[in-house]
Order: sequence, then structure tokens, then C-alpha cells
Amino acid sequence: MLALESVTKRFGGLTAVGGVSLDVDEGDLVGIIGPNGAGKTTLFNVIAGYYRPESGRVVFEGRDLTGHPPHEICRLGLTRTFQIVKPFGNLSVRDNVMIGALTRVRSVAAARTDADRVVERCGLGDYAGVVAKSLPIGLRKRLELARALATRPRLLLLDEVMAGLNPAELAAMVELIRRVHAGGVTLVVIEHIMAAIMRLTRRIVVLHHGEKIAEGVPARIARDPKVVDAYLGEEFTLE
Amino acid sequence: MRRHAGAIVLFGLAAVAPLATRDAYFLDMIVLILMWGAISSAWNVAGGYAGQVSLGHAAFFGLGAYSAAVLTVHWGLSPWIGLVLGMALSIVAGLIIGYLSNRLRGPYFVLATIAFAQVLLITASRWREMTMGSEGIPVPFKQGFWALGLASKVSWLYLTLGFALALYLVQVYLEVSRMGYQLAGVREDEDAAQALGIAGRRLKVIAIAMSAALTSAGGTFWAQYVGFVDPFYVFSIDLSILFALNTIIGGVGTALGPFLGSILITWLEHYLRATLSDIAPGLIGVHLIIYGCLLIVMVRFVPQGLIGALGALFTWRARAAQRERHART
Amino acid sequence: MGALPQLVVSTLLLGGIYALIAVGLTLIFGIMRVVNFAHGEFLMLGMYLAFWSFSLWRLDPYVVLVVALPVFFVVGLLSYWLVMKGVIKASHNVQIFTTVGLSIALQNVALVLWTGDYRFVRPWHASEVVRLGGAALNLSQIVAFAVAVAFTGGLMAFMKFTHAGRVMRATAEDREAATLMGIDTERVYRLAWTIGIVCVGVAGVLLSPVYTVYPQAGLQFVLLAYVVVVLGGLGDMRGALFGSLIVAAVETVGAYTLGIAWKEVLYFVLFILVLVFRPAGLFGQRGAETLGM
Repeated sequence: MLALESVTKRFGGLTAVGGVSLDVDEGDLVGIIGPNGAGKTTLFNVIAGYYRPESGRVVFEGRDLTGHPPHEICRLGLTRTFQIVKPFGNLSVRDNVMIGALTRVRSVAAARTDADRVVERCGLGDYAGVVAKSLPIGLRKRLELARALATRPRLLLLDEVMAGLNPAELAAMVELIRRVHAGGVTLVVIEHIMAAIMRLTRRIVVLHHGEKIAEGVPARIARDPKVVDAYLGEEFTLE
Repeated sequence: MRRHAGAIVLFGLAAVAPLATRDAYFLDMIVLILMWGAISSAWNVAGGYAGQVSLGHAAFFGLGAYSAAVLTVHWGLSPWIGLVLGMALSIVAGLIIGYLSNRLRGPYFVLATIAFAQVLLITASRWREMTMGSEGIPVPFKQGFWALGLASKVSWLYLTLGFALALYLVQVYLEVSRMGYQLAGVREDEDAAQALGIAGRRLKVIAIAMSAALTSAGGTFWAQYVGFVDPFYVFSIDLSILFALNTIIGGVGTALGPFLGSILITWLEHYLRATLSDIAPGLIGVHLIIYGCLLIVMVRFVPQGLIGALGALFTWRARAAQRERHART
Repeated sequence: MGALPQLVVSTLLLGGIYALIAVGLTLIFGIMRVVNFAHGEFLMLGMYLAFWSFSLWRLDPYVVLVVALPVFFVVGLLSYWLVMKGVIKASHNVQIFTTVGLSIALQNVALVLWTGDYRFVRPWHASEVVRLGGAALNLSQIVAFAVAVAFTGGLMAFMKFTHAGRVMRATAEDREAATLMGIDTERVYRLAWTIGIVCVGVAGVLLSPVYTVYPQAGLQFVLLAYVVVVLGGLGDMRGALFGSLIVAAVETVGAYTLGIAWKEVLYFVLFILVLVFRPAGLFGQRGAETLGM
């Protein structure tokens, strides 16, 4: 479904992502881990069209996305959430989600019905009328996800939607992600919390200094000496 | 309907005003309030709804004023043709400014818009063959609708009322339509909007071009109403600031805000000018001192403008009433 | 050929004066991240200070210069406390309209108090013609240039060698780090604003014998100062010096070739082009990136 062909992105002299290749099949739930500065978010920015790679290609459902702007990529069915959440702060939760829905339906009324459904599904029903900037962080992460879902993606990139959540919120988020996946959305998830990602995904990709150093099932990744090395001195949360 | 109650009252009062009085001073005031309110609304399309604050909108106003005046003076064409030409030129200029808005942010964009208007100001004041240079153009008066030569203030009142209503509706459209919601997303966070499939850059450019064209139409009407085009006024930064000021005072990004601001500011100017010039001619600048201070105070303490302040007052009252009811039961 | 020396000398003189206006502006921007739209009005106040001192007490502008330092120090502090302090952490738009409001208010205070008449300060040195290698200029221009250069140089030395200057530069580099290091950023902003205002006030006094004094006098200079500052890179003091020379050169050469009427168009177009293609300035990097360029 998604294929990265040795994608490289540099900033000045710094190589943020160096020759990363990756295949994601329809129905996959892939995790991407790596220490801070490993290039995870940069990789998302390249896939979603925010950065143009210096070399390599991003192919989605047989179509070359390289160089396409983010909004076109979203309309093709691939979108992302942001690690630092970007709610439309002065708008209500419903309006936030509705703006996503309007990408698929032209009528405002239909988009509102759509949005209400998504809001409900993401457990934000009680907050539909609340202004987004007054939500606590846990709910903002949900809103981020809800808004992206409203654009009806077939492939969704989640950038640390579990970071900063308390245990109860975390469990609910894992549950929500599972449901989204079960609903037919292919997922690529960046996460720092190893325990969560081990439980959630079937395949993990490890980035370090912008390069892919390992890929495989969670159990093998946890034992891979290269991965353990890369994480030395970093928070290796396996609680 | 309730959300438009303020507008219905406001435009309704303006519509029936000629029945109550034929006082030229009073009618002139209403025409100007509606005119400045409408043009500030046009600014609001870019500055409020799209979040692209410009201090160069006088550029579009001036294009509208000059297009009609120049066509009439040189070729005897109807100002309505000038209106269309001005709007077309302003759309082109708006596309340029829109392009700039995608390259520049915050203060840089503001500076670029000022410079843009300044270039047009200098051009208009120096291109003598076309614009009669710094002396300005007296707009010849020819009776009739086609020549926009409306002798009576009442006709002008209804013309500007129509213009104001149109602008109000444009803004309401930007609150309830698909484009409006998407624009709100772009204004709040462009990156996030793009991730949701919105062509943020194009949308901003469209909004700015729209704003430019509408401002230009206002410039044409104003020039025909006043009968004189002075480059140092129509392209001035003071005028650009006035559009922003009206909107900020009334409420940025609200459909009624620019009109409320215009009522206060236009009235204040006329009132102070009239009363102070009786005392001493030197005092005519006092209203501008008040504008300046008002601007400083408003952006800091009442960023939502009059609309927001009134809204807060009403919710506060409603809550107080609710509490009272609860206390009784 | 005959015009060349005159062009070079005019460019230098004009550049020196623009530098003094621009340096204060770029200092305020570099440290506070505030674009001061009222900058020109403080210049205008400086011109009026010189005008009234001259016409009431026959004080030469160069004597007034000494008085201008404490006067504008106080003006700077006052305007900071009354107006700027409350919006330091506000959004760009709030800051922009705050300084725009300040600009309107000051301009019209001058209009109401002193009318819109054009005023002139013409001490003896304004009509003293000096010939310098084929170029003719008056003495006031030369002194203004000399003082402006000395002042700008002094300010740059202050920023480089004194503790206060280093603290200010540190704050300009990284606000958060400065706060973490225990720097009282509020004091830094106050100092930056005040120094910026003193610079431009002094510039106003210096310019009074050369230009006309009226309430909107600041506008033409402030727009020009922005061209300078953007060319040099907002916040970059050395860049402002180069920018001043470039603008002065464009202005002098433009006036010579196109005529005075069109020279302004030239530098405004240059301004827009630089904003679009080199938003960080012709030389610099600083400033632009923090604004999300």
C-alpha cells in the first residue's frame, strides 16, 4: 500500500533521514520507534508531503507522492496527526472534526452529521461543544485522531498520540487505535512508550540517526542488540 | 435569525432613516457609516476570516477610486465600468499580496503590504498624464444611475445600504459555508488544515483576492460619492489603518463587528471634528489621538472587540439571572 | 564622471544618518521581536525638540543633542511602561496594532500641539557649504554623519563589550535559555526599547537642520528604516549599517538617473523583492526563523 524507496532528507549538513526504505501492506499496523532525534517525525513529514526528500520516492497505492503537497496526499487517503497537537484552538471540538469531514463531503450539514459520528466514536461526545483549546492534553490527542479520521483515510500516520497520557487514558487510547485499525484503516504509529507499542503492533521499525537499524516482530526487536545499544541512555520504557 | 438580530436592527434603522429625516448632515453620516463599515468588512475577509492582517488595503481602495475616476475623465466611460476594472486590477494586486502572504508571516507580511500601497501611492502621485499627479482628480458629476451621479443623499443611502448588506452576507457566508470552515482551519493552524486535505495556500490567496476586489468596489463608490480622488488620501497608510481599526474595535472575524466599529469611529470623528473645530481649529487632530489610544487599549484589553464585550456582558447577565432563579427555587 | 564624487559623498552621508535610525529599530526587533511602527514618531519628536529649543532659546541642535539623551531616555522608559510592557508576550498582531496606535496618537499629539505647519531649523552651519573632492555639501550634513557614525559605533561597542550588552545579545539569541540563566528578560526588553528610542530621538535632533519638521515627518523615514533593516536582516546591527548604505546608494543614484520623483518606487520595490526572496536579509539569518519563516 505504501512503499518508501530509500528516502533521504537533509537539513543543511545534517541527514535527518538517510536512505530509509519501508513497505506497509494494507491492513498493517506498523510501529516506528527510535530515540529522540532519530528522524521519526521527519519521516512522517516526508510521507505526508510537508518535506520534499532530497532523494528517494514515496509511493502510495501505486502513485508517486513525492513532491505532492499535504492536502493532495490527504485527499488520496493518507493523512497524519501531529506530535505537538495542533487543534484549531478557538473552534469547538465538533467544528474541528467537521473541517476534516468537509474534505469528503461538500455539504456542511452532512459534514456535521459525519463529525458527530466520529466525535462519538472517539469518546469525545461529551465535549462536542467545548472550545478545543480548553481541552486537557489527553483529550486533545483524541481530537487530533478524530479530526484525521474524519477525512476517511485508508492509511493513517499517528505521531505519538499516546505520549503524556495517564494510565487510564493510555488504555483507552490503545483500545481506540485497535478499533480504528479493526475498522479497516492501515496504521503507522510512532511511539516512545515501548510497552504500548509492543502490545499494539505486529511489526516494528527502529530508526537511529535517521537510518533503519532493525525491523521485525516486537519480541525480536526487544532482544536485538543493535536496538538495545541505540536506546542506551535513552528512556527504554518496558514497564 | 437571532444571530442576525443586530444586523437586522442596524440595517433596518438605516433603511427607514430617510423617512424620519431629510437632514443632509445626518444622512451623510449614515452613508459614511455604511460605506466605511462595508469596506472594513472587506478588510475583515482577509484580516479577520483568513487571518492575513494587512496594512496596505488602501492600495485596493485607491485602485477602485482611480479606475472609475480615470475612465470617466479621460474616456467618459461609466463609473460602473470603472468599478469592474478596479475590481479586476485589485484581484490581480490581491493575487500578488496573496502570494506574499504565503512567503511572509506576521510583521514581514504587514511590512510588505505597506510597501505595496506605498508604491501605488507614489505611482499615482507622479504619473501625471494618467492620474493628474499629486493634485488629484475631481470626479465630474453627471446625473443618473449609469453615471453614478446620484443627486440625492437618499439614493446614495440606499446604494451604500445595498453594498453594506452584500458585504455582511459575504461575511456570513464565510461563517457558515464549507469555504468558511476551511478558512477558519487555515487561520487557526495552516499545517493542521493541510493535513486535513485543505489547500491552505490557495484558500488564503482566494480570500485575499476577494477582500481586495470588495475593497476596490468600496473605493469606487467612495470616490463617486465624495467627488474627488486625492492620491495621498486614497492610498494612505492612515486609510489602511482605519479599515483595521473599525474592525478591531467592532470585533475581528465577526460579520457585524466592522459595522459596529464604523458607527463608533465615524460618529466620533464627525462629532469631535464639529465640536472641537468650534473651540479651536487646531484641535481637529484630537479624534485621531483618541483612535490611537483606543487601538492600544482595545487590542490589549478587549481583543474580541465590542461584539465580544457585549456578548460577554449578555452571557454574564444571563448567568446572573440563572443564578437568581436557582436561588429562588 | 563629474557627478560621481557627489554621488559617493551623498550616499555616505545619507547612509550614516539612516544607520542611526535603523540601528535602534533593529535593536528593538532583535531583542523584543517587536516591529515598532511608532519608531518614526520618536524621530519626529526629536526634530521638534530641536526646533523648539532653537526657536525659543536659540539653542544650536548640537547643544540640544546633550539634552536629548536624558529626555529620550525618559520618553523611552515612559512609553515602555505605559504601552509596551503589557504586550511583550502578546501575539504579533496585538504588538503591531499597539505600536500602530502609539504612532497615530503621537503623530496627532504633535499635530494638535504644534499644528501641521512645516518648520525649519536653520542654524549657521546649515548654510555653510563645504567642498569635498568635487562634492558640495553643507556642514550640518557632515556633522550629522559624524555624530551618527560615532553613536552607532558606540552602541555596537556597548553591545559587544559591556555586561548589559552581552546580556541583551544572549536574550536576542535565545529567550528561553536567557530566562533559564536567570536573566531578567523584562529588564532587557526595557533597556532595548529605551536605547532604541534614544537612538532615534538623537537622530531626529541631528536631522533637524537638514530636513523639514512636521508631524508626519517620521513616516518617510520609518518606511525607509524598514527597508534598511529588512535588507540588513531584522535584528542584525551590522546588517543595518550595510543596509543603510545600500538604500542611500539606491536613493542617490535613483534620484540622479530617474529623477527624485521615482526614486522611492525603486527602493520600495527593492524592499518587497528582498522580503520575498531573502526574508532573512541580504546577509543575515537571524530573526526570520523565529517568526516561522
